[in-house]
Amino acid sequence: MPLRSEPGRWSTVAKTFHWVMALLIVGNGIFAFWMSDLKPSMQKINMFALHKSIGLTVLALFFLRLLWRLADRRPAEDPAPRWQRIAAHVVHGLLYVLIVSLPLSGWIFNSAHGFPLQYFKLFNLPALIDKNPDIDDLLLEVHEYLFWFLLLVLVAHVGGALKHHLIDRDDTLRRMLPFGRAKRNIPPSPGDTP
Amino acid sequence: MTIRRLSALAFALALPMAASAADYKVGPGSTLGFSGKFQGQQFDGSFGKFDAAISYDPANLAASKFDVTVDVATAKTGDGDRDGALPGSDFFDAAKFPKAHYVTTGFTKDAKGDVVANGNLTLHGITKPVALKVVFNPAAGGARLSVTGTLKRLDFGVGSGEYKDTSTIADEVLVNGTLNLLPK
Repeated sequence: MPLRSEPGRWSTVAKTFHWVMALLIVGNGIFAFWMSDLKPSMQKINMFALHKSIGLTVLALFFLRLLWRLADRRPAEDPAPRWQRIAAHVVHGLLYVLIVSLPLSGWIFNSAHGFPLQYFKLFNLPALIDKNPDIDDLLLEVHEYLFWFLLLVLVAHVGGALKHHLIDRDDTLRRMLPFGRAKRNIPPSPGDTP
Repeated sequence: MTIRRLSALAFALALPMAASAADYKVGPGSTLGFSGKFQGQQFDGSFGKFDAAISYDPANLAASKFDVTVDVATAKTGDGDRDGALPGSDFFDAAKFPKAHYVTTGFTKDAKGDVVANGNLTLHGITKPVALKVVFNPAAGGARLSVTGTLKRLDFGVGSGEYKDTSTIADEVLVNGTLNLLPK
């Protein structure tokens, strides 16, 4: 599997970032709703700590991914109407903004409430803002609404990918799938076409 | 009458020794606090209600004594969830054990010459020895007494069941008191 992206598919590194982060983000979101309903207990405390650690991992992965993206090539874009290309870029941009702001908003809420922030029980991270009981409830809502917004953008992202795969029958999704490979060679050289 | 005379003599000799440790009560501005560690971060708490009878003379430690009673339900740490949980049955169980009690059994001096109070702390129905470092400074109209020490919360069963987990709540708890003493 290629380390760097090729015209017909994303690199192993890019795919790994994409799918690991997808799993962590969606998983941590579902996890958050489950843990919020737990009765006050040590288990609940530890589950919240785990949720925070996963969120911080996503934040760290995002910056590594951004660095990689700046260094890596990108597959050629499949042909599509201009508005669709613009829409795809807007959705990707929003996803990037949300991937950063979701953990950050959680971290800011955590700081305002005065909770400690410990990464997988290994080390502590500082508060981003001073403790402020007047705004911590609001900040928790911001954190939650950002998740709902992310879900909305994800519907567009996944919907677009499925539309390409099922209706356009092109390589947009396939080239990001873990073991996927483009059906067509891009660019096709005239001599090779049967 | 020899025995009576002797005991009177012994009493007369003992009296000035006992009296030479001055008796104090707790004045305003006194604090009794503790510091624990939760998820790797220190938190500080204090007890809103406590009382102490202090007899102390730096020159006569043998006659000195601390007797401290603490209302454990009055612990405040600046976090609503924690303050709600502390008096509950998982921690202090204040309904069953409303008071903690500390009584000194004697005073010693450590290698540095600092005074150490040795005593028994009864907390959560369990009695264990706890040593406190003592700093005593006479002040206008009384004295200022500072004590510091550490104890292990699990020695006293504070934090039962899953709350025994010391990877989230540290076992070691720092105890500190600053008392403004007034003559009794």
